[in-house]
Amino acid sequence: GPGVLTRTLLNAGVRVVALESNSAFLPNLQSLENSLDGQLKVIYGDFFRLDPLVTGTVKPPALSSDKLFESMGVAAVPWRADVPVKVFGILPQVRERNKLWRLLFALYECSSIYRCGRVELNIFISEKEYKVLTSKPGEAKAYQALTVLWQVGCEIQLLHKEPWSSFVTNMKSRGLAVQKTKWLPNDHLCLVRLTPHQNLFTGSLKPTNSATFIFMVKQCLAKPRSKLTDRLSSWSLDNGGKLLRELEIPQNAETRDLYPEDYRRLFEALQNSSEFAETWFNDEVMESIRNINL
Amino acid sequence: QGCLQRISRLLCMMESVGLQRSLDSYAAVLECLGRSQSSTQAVWRCLQQLKNDGFHVDDLFQKCLFEEDEKEMVLRAIRIVQPNYQLPPPPSPQTCKSSLLQDFYSKERMVSYPKLDFSLWMELDNTVTIESVESTKPLTPQAMRARSVLSTLRSRWHGALLQALHKSKRSMAKLRNTSGYSTLYPYLCLLPDEEYVGIMMQIVNSLSPQGESLAVLARELGSKVYNRYITQRKLRSRQLEKVRAVYEGYIHLLAKDSQPEEYLPREYWEKLVAEAGFGPALNLKDCSWPYMLLMRLGMHMLELLVEALRVPRNILNPRLEPRLIPVLYHIYSFHSSWQVGLIKPHPIFSQLVSDAGETLLTFNSSAIPMLCPPVPWTSPHFGAYILSDTKLMRFVEGVVQHQQLLEQCPQVQLHPVLDALNQLGNCAWKINRPVLDIIISIFNDKGNEKLDIPPPVSEVPRPSAPPGSSSSWSKAHKQELLLYKKKAAEVHSMRMDALYKLSIANHVRDKVFWFPHNMDFRGRTYPCPPYFNHLGNDVTRAILLFAEGRPLGPKGLDWLKIHLVNLTGLKKKNSLQERLEYANEIMEEILDSADRPLTGRRWWMKTDEPWQALACCMEIAKASRSPDPAAYISHFPVHQDGSCNGLQHYAALGRDLIGAMSVNLMPCSVPQDVYSAVAQQVEEFRKKDAEQGVKIAQVLQGFVSRKVVKQTVMTVVYGVTRYGGRLQMEKRLKEIDEFPEEYLWEASHYLVKQVFNGIKEMFSATRDIQHWLTESAKLIAQSGQTVEWVTPLGLPIVQPYYRSRSTVVSTWLASAVVGPRRVWVGWKPDTVKQKNAFPPNFIHSLDSTHMMLTALYCLRQGLTFVSVHDCYWTHALTVDIMNQICRQQFVALHSEKILQDLSQFMLEKYCRAPLLICFSSGSSSPGRETRAQWQKKLMEQLSNVPKTGDFNLKEVMDSTYFFS
Repeated sequence: GPGVLTRTLLNAGVRVVALESNSAFLPNLQSLENSLDGQLKVIYGDFFRLDPLVTGTVKPPALSSDKLFESMGVAAVPWRADVPVKVFGILPQVRERNKLWRLLFALYECSSIYRCGRVELNIFISEKEYKVLTSKPGEAKAYQALTVLWQVGCEIQLLHKEPWSSFVTNMKSRGLAVQKTKWLPNDHLCLVRLTPHQNLFTGSLKPTNSATFIFMVKQCLAKPRSKLTDRLSSWSLDNGGKLLRELEIPQNAETRDLYPEDYRRLFEALQNSSEFAETWFNDEVMESIRNINL
Repeated sequence: QGCLQRISRLLCMMESVGLQRSLDSYAAVLECLGRSQSSTQAVWRCLQQLKNDGFHVDDLFQKCLFEEDEKEMVLRAIRIVQPNYQLPPPPSPQTCKSSLLQDFYSKERMVSYPKLDFSLWMELDNTVTIESVESTKPLTPQAMRARSVLSTLRSRWHGALLQALHKSKRSMAKLRNTSGYSTLYPYLCLLPDEEYVGIMMQIVNSLSPQGESLAVLARELGSKVYNRYITQRKLRSRQLEKVRAVYEGYIHLLAKDSQPEEYLPREYWEKLVAEAGFGPALNLKDCSWPYMLLMRLGMHMLELLVEALRVPRNILNPRLEPRLIPVLYHIYSFHSSWQVGLIKPHPIFSQLVSDAGETLLTFNSSAIPMLCPPVPWTSPHFGAYILSDTKLMRFVEGVVQHQQLLEQCPQVQLHPVLDALNQLGNCAWKINRPVLDIIISIFNDKGNEKLDIPPPVSEVPRPSAPPGSSSSWSKAHKQELLLYKKKAAEVHSMRMDALYKLSIANHVRDKVFWFPHNMDFRGRTYPCPPYFNHLGNDVTRAILLFAEGRPLGPKGLDWLKIHLVNLTGLKKKNSLQERLEYANEIMEEILDSADRPLTGRRWWMKTDEPWQALACCMEIAKASRSPDPAAYISHFPVHQDGSCNGLQHYAALGRDLIGAMSVNLMPCSVPQDVYSAVAQQVEEFRKKDAEQGVKIAQVLQGFVSRKVVKQTVMTVVYGVTRYGGRLQMEKRLKEIDEFPEEYLWEASHYLVKQVFNGIKEMFSATRDIQHWLTESAKLIAQSGQTVEWVTPLGLPIVQPYYRSRSTVVSTWLASAVVGPRRVWVGWKPDTVKQKNAFPPNFIHSLDSTHMMLTALYCLRQGLTFVSVHDCYWTHALTVDIMNQICRQQFVALHSEKILQDLSQFMLEKYCRAPLLICFSSGSSSPGRETRAQWQKKLMEQLSNVPKTGDFNLKEVMDSTYFFS
């Protein structure tokens, strides 16, 4: 677009690396780069096509995060260290939900942008997704697997809300390319800051077993009104009742009643009780990764 | 049970909600009166009311379906007031008056049936258990161990299930006493408990290691209970006894010592039924269960399974602590925006099953070919199997319109279709044993992917597992393992499919057998047994022979040779004479293939359809070596294929001259190829554009070929849109390495435009007809109605596309989403589907009509005939006669005023009763227009039948390559 974000950042005086996915806009940006004496660096690439899953050579505008960080001169820091890089951007409305999921997997696997530490995202997302990310247990329709996983993974702050009417309309239909929603409000674009929690991997949750955690949460919230005990027993985990007692979770709790932190505790308890050592659960997790990686 | 009070109360209830008494209501009252030996007055009053409602006493015996002694009871009641009442005589048989079948039905005629040796055999069980072809493998000690473990587990599970069922029934009964309502309870009391448990155990035994979706399993369980219940009813109501009595008489018609008959199979059956005085009592009252009920029942049984089945966790690994864990687990699988519930067997159980390598396979009895001739279709709900219920018309779950339409139309109108299906089903088959044995030997060895014999899963190379638990593996390892699992799952399902087919074939290897047929809603016919039938792949077709043998005759050997060349896929552009010459040239290869199929030069393996080619080589070898090939008795089916059959029907409908020529409706010395013709036309357009400086036309120089346009031309008949056509083109162009990638979009866009133009140029009337059909369907659907028509053979058709929503069946275990396409919203038509599907459906209804006409006239001439849609099979001896009939019937069919008749029918149906039209809501609906305007528009559209070209249809009679 017209580069509102880039200009704002430059005016604030910070060093900016701009990723431009459309080659038509490159020449202008490059002349700006030349006139700014090192404050701006322009790279041809698409942030949302970082580290594509297809094997083979990466063709621009797709690019690999390793190369990107190398050319930016950013080195990896330990997870508990301070934020090494801040990312600003607008999440495209097309397949917005998928992009949030992909970022989430990268976060839990410490892969892609999260390989160099707790990268802070400052992104515009639609209000409906913001509502999902920040909803509370029991909020019908809004409280989903995505909610639990983002809240366990990151601190979520709302920085700014801007009504859709401030944005340029779609030329063809003269309307906004905004999805209509039935259950959740969607009148704004929300600038949110997603900062990964320092203590995300201090317990028994690790980047290596996080896929199982994601799988477990998704399975539980596939049907939010089901009872947690029923879920556990339908996985042929037989002593679910005892487990819940130990965790002080009521026997009749529905899966939508659990706080994100409860899911984390449940996972860690299962992990320690070696329930997940049963082969099928891991197989299913792998299976689910295949579906996720689409 | 003779309790009049209850019946009266029921009738009162009906009256209070405004329901009319039907004939069946009166039958029930009379039955009750007869049973309780009531007073004259009561019976008299009842009969009086019956008359007041416009019924006649005779109607009771002509239209009602009685079970057990119901009929006798009704008769007893009537004789209380009319002691001399006699049963009405059976209705005299009617004859179909269709102009297309005048010769078929009205001639003084005799029909000869093939004389076959078979013994009376009736399927009386719902399932059949057979040995698999893998049973010849030696049994390892490990397998023996696994088998004994499994059998102990199974007997334990049987007990556990029985207990769980009792418990759930008890709690339901309690609930019934307190709240008085439980929908499922009565359906759990229909069969002995043992049978429910048996059905559940069957599901466990057949569950694949990959698991199965909840909805599919629930449905399967539900319908198994239903089928079992129907069988029980048939036995109890003595229906089966009656059918058996008639059937024993019926098969004399087809037995080896019978004479040519003046009856068609259907007529003969009806005659026997009338003589036995059974009337319509051979049918059971229709009582199919609603889909939701099947699902609920199935879900309940699944719950019991998940709850009750347990296996000791240490059964494979004794070092683990002994604890019982569930055998089945339930999880969700996510696919972008939707999720599916799956039931999977625990890997321990899958491992046991795979170790045991059990070799018995259990099928529904309707999945096995019949070992005696099928019961002839005599009505839309009676025919095919003796025990299993089969519908004349296949339909989407929950759609009732087809069956209603079939029942409402005058039954005599359906006779041609029923007779054609009977003819197809009466074709007797046998197994080509030498070919089957070769296939089984390869199957039991290691399979052969090139020859389409799927290898066992153990042949898929397994990636080496790195040390440590799977959660710590690298991404590459996980990826590799995932690919392996995917491949293994694919191989497993293909292997099982082949195992079923071959095992069934092996099971009937020494027998004569039959495939009963039914049809889809357009009249296209299909054999009912799902796994093994002549519609299958090359492998299955190669092991099928006609049970009846015929001498080759003077030209039979030549036809076998031409058939062989057709199977190779070579010489497609050459004349029949040239194909024959080619076969004679390579005679040495043919004989080598026949004599040493696996050890010789193996010429047959390089052909398009290797197994059928091999079978044909063997037949040619045997025939040519016999002292007199013309007298050689051959059982081999020879095929004749329509060339681009959909376009043939379009070209004939529109009388398009150039089009007709390109799809072989005109006599020609060599076969014409419509794809090349279109490619040529497109190339001409391209040249012109290139000269005028159109960039993309210049880029495409040298890239327009038959291969590029073929798929699009083929699918034009089936209503491919520009959008879909462009995607097809893009795919083809991508396959060409030299084609510059950056032009893909533009080039495919240009090409699809030119292909459509080319077709329009060659098939001008065809495009008009297609357009007319589409527009008519659009207007009809927009007015809130479904598109209906009647084929020239009298089959009524309705397009079953409705708007639907999904519904959820919930239990504690999970909720299965039923649908979409399952629960229909007020039967509003789906406009887009109604519109887009009409042209192809209409054409399919014509090609099925052509096939049925050919089948009927072949029956008249005493030919063996079967079809795979537009591919017709007969003996080598009778190929020429069949070809002639096929052409005659095509000409006869298209000499009817098909489009005018269609227009007439639709005008009457849709423009007669303007007040009944209900408008659908939505943006595309004609909300603003007035009804009168709308009516006028529809009327204009429907009466405006497209003009046709001047192709002379009679030319088809002399076209060699029309079907070849």
